[in-house]
Amino acid sequence: MRSFSLIDFVSLFAALRWTVALVVLALLLGAPLALGLALGRISRFAGLRWAMAALIQVIQSVPLLGLLFFFYFGMPVFLGVQVPALIAVTVAYTLYTAAFLGEIWRGGLEAVKQAQWEASACLGLSAWQQFRHIIAPQALRLSLPPTVGFLVQLIKGTSLASILGFVELARAGQVVSAATFQPLLTYALVAAIYFALCLPLTLWSRSLEARLDGSR
Amino acid sequence: MNFLPLWRYQNQLIDGAIITLELTVISALAGLVIGIAGAVALKGRITPLRWLVRGYIELFRNTPSLIQIFIVFFVLPNFGLKLPAFEAAAVALSLYFGAYSVEIIRAGLDSIPRSQVEAGQCLGLSGWQVFRHIILPPALRNAYPAVTSQFVLLLLGTSLASQVATDELFHVAGFIESRTYRSFEVYAVICAVYFAMAMSFKALFAVIALAAFRWPRRR
Amino acid sequence: MALVEIRDVRKTFGKIEVLKGVSLDVEEGEIVTIIGRSGSGKSTLLRCINALESVDSGEIRVEGQKVHAKMPDLKKFRQRVGIVFQAFNLFPHLKVERNITLAPLLTGRVEKAKARVLAEDVLTRVGLADKIDAWPEQLSGGQQQRVAIARCLAMAPHLMLFDEVTSALDPELVGEVLKVMEAMAEQGMTMILVTHEMGFARNVADRIVFMHQGRVWEQGPPAKLFANPGTPELKSFIASAK
Repeated sequence: MRSFSLIDFVSLFAALRWTVALVVLALLLGAPLALGLALGRISRFAGLRWAMAALIQVIQSVPLLGLLFFFYFGMPVFLGVQVPALIAVTVAYTLYTAAFLGEIWRGGLEAVKQAQWEASACLGLSAWQQFRHIIAPQALRLSLPPTVGFLVQLIKGTSLASILGFVELARAGQVVSAATFQPLLTYALVAAIYFALCLPLTLWSRSLEARLDGSR
Repeated sequence: MNFLPLWRYQNQLIDGAIITLELTVISALAGLVIGIAGAVALKGRITPLRWLVRGYIELFRNTPSLIQIFIVFFVLPNFGLKLPAFEAAAVALSLYFGAYSVEIIRAGLDSIPRSQVEAGQCLGLSGWQVFRHIILPPALRNAYPAVTSQFVLLLLGTSLASQVATDELFHVAGFIESRTYRSFEVYAVICAVYFAMAMSFKALFAVIALAAFRWPRRR
Repeated sequence: MALVEIRDVRKTFGKIEVLKGVSLDVEEGEIVTIIGRSGSGKSTLLRCINALESVDSGEIRVEGQKVHAKMPDLKKFRQRVGIVFQAFNLFPHLKVERNITLAPLLTGRVEKAKARVLAEDVLTRVGLADKIDAWPEQLSGGQQQRVAIARCLAMAPHLMLFDEVTSALDPELVGEVLKVMEAMAEQGMTMILVTHEMGFARNVADRIVFMHQGRVWEQGPPAKLFANPGTPELKSFIASAK
């Protein structure tokens, strides 16, 4: 047993880079997928709408922890070769992000009134032009607050990677806690770091929401 | 891939699922009580109490549920409060669910226009009668979708209790895995069980909504 | 003693003085119509009579009893004074029957067995007996407003207040609501209305009160007031209302 020192402090902050890396990877890969899911959900092909809805429903009805384990142990089974844990975990977070963001963005797209599509069609714009210039900007504005809100969920969700051995923030906390026998100090510090990451986003999301309500 | 070795563990799976359900329902009920009390406090006139509730909400919504469970389980014993795993998880999850419930319930109450309250007052109803008969039913309907989807998230979130060795479903998965070495198959089955439970609750909530909220929506 | 006595009432919202010393008496059985531009304080005055707003100074008495938001038997008082709002304010989650019987049942005015008969009775008076089992959202605006009137009638009020009750209605639905109000007037109900319906004011009211800038600017019988407005403000208001 040793006392809590600067080293422990540094190791907690060093672990932050994995938390950030997981969030960035999930967003970079998950966001395009989410857009695809959202567009699929409002497609005029019923089959596609149903398939996308089912996919989202499945991912949202399974624990994030379950998704992580499923792909951690599943990737070798699917691919026939061992893959680095980072890839398996990234796949799980990407799908998680895609499902939740996809559903949020679908809500944004559907909230833009049908009349806007019709009005832009009357201007002779192509379907893509209508989406790109008329619908998407409005939908983005409407879905920005919940999107930022989901970002908070994702940051908190990366703590689960600790369970698969990733030395991100939560895992570093466990290690330090075990080494120093100072769970109170360590977990309080870990919680404080998450809090410092998430609170600004939560407040931003809320102010975006308030601004939307005000402009309605 | 071979699922057969898992077959003999169905009793453990069922026991785990029951504990998961217990943990979910207990945390949801306790969380709702916190949510109602918190919403009332937020609407009240006692400023320090409002700040306290706000602080509670932000603290629990902006830190991971996993860390909250760890703190209740590993840190509280330092203060002489040693809880068994299930109780510790239930406390942490209740507080987590409560923090979301406060906002949901408050939004539900706020969604009822002031004019409805005035209409009730003008008919000579008391404050409680106005709340019970005029505000509450439509507020419940407005809050219902958010409460139920939060409930499903809670159901899935109870899997984190496995990390302090609560005997719920996800912990049972670890046990079966250690006996069979069929890691992928075990977690595939576990995911399917959570999926089945989540879908059942969604269906149940939809049926309840149909029965409870019969009046037509505002056009 | 007049049924309603209003003495030098003042009311301020923030920095804006909405009522600047209003005095007005309304006798039992009288029908008084308050007209004036928006912002003249008409609706605020009406809301003060029912203690939805409390006055800053001056006093309002109804049946001799001083009215304010903290009066000891506020609930009993409000059962005697019915108010109908511009936006109907029916309870969307209750069927028409329950909208009407909720308050009489909760306040003990009527026993459970007789509640439906009461609802049928007041609905017949507004011509909607066949809608007793409908949801409010299934009714037209005019029908909803008539149910709102019936809901007040079920409390057997001594005084009825109408706050621009036809302003939110499509033009073709205004007539059916006014007809119900005319019938009530004929039965001797004391009524104070804020309205933009000049035809109704002219034909049904015993007295017109013209409010301007938070004051009672001019009042008198409709025939006289409409034919010979005594002030340029009323003259221009009548001209613009036509």
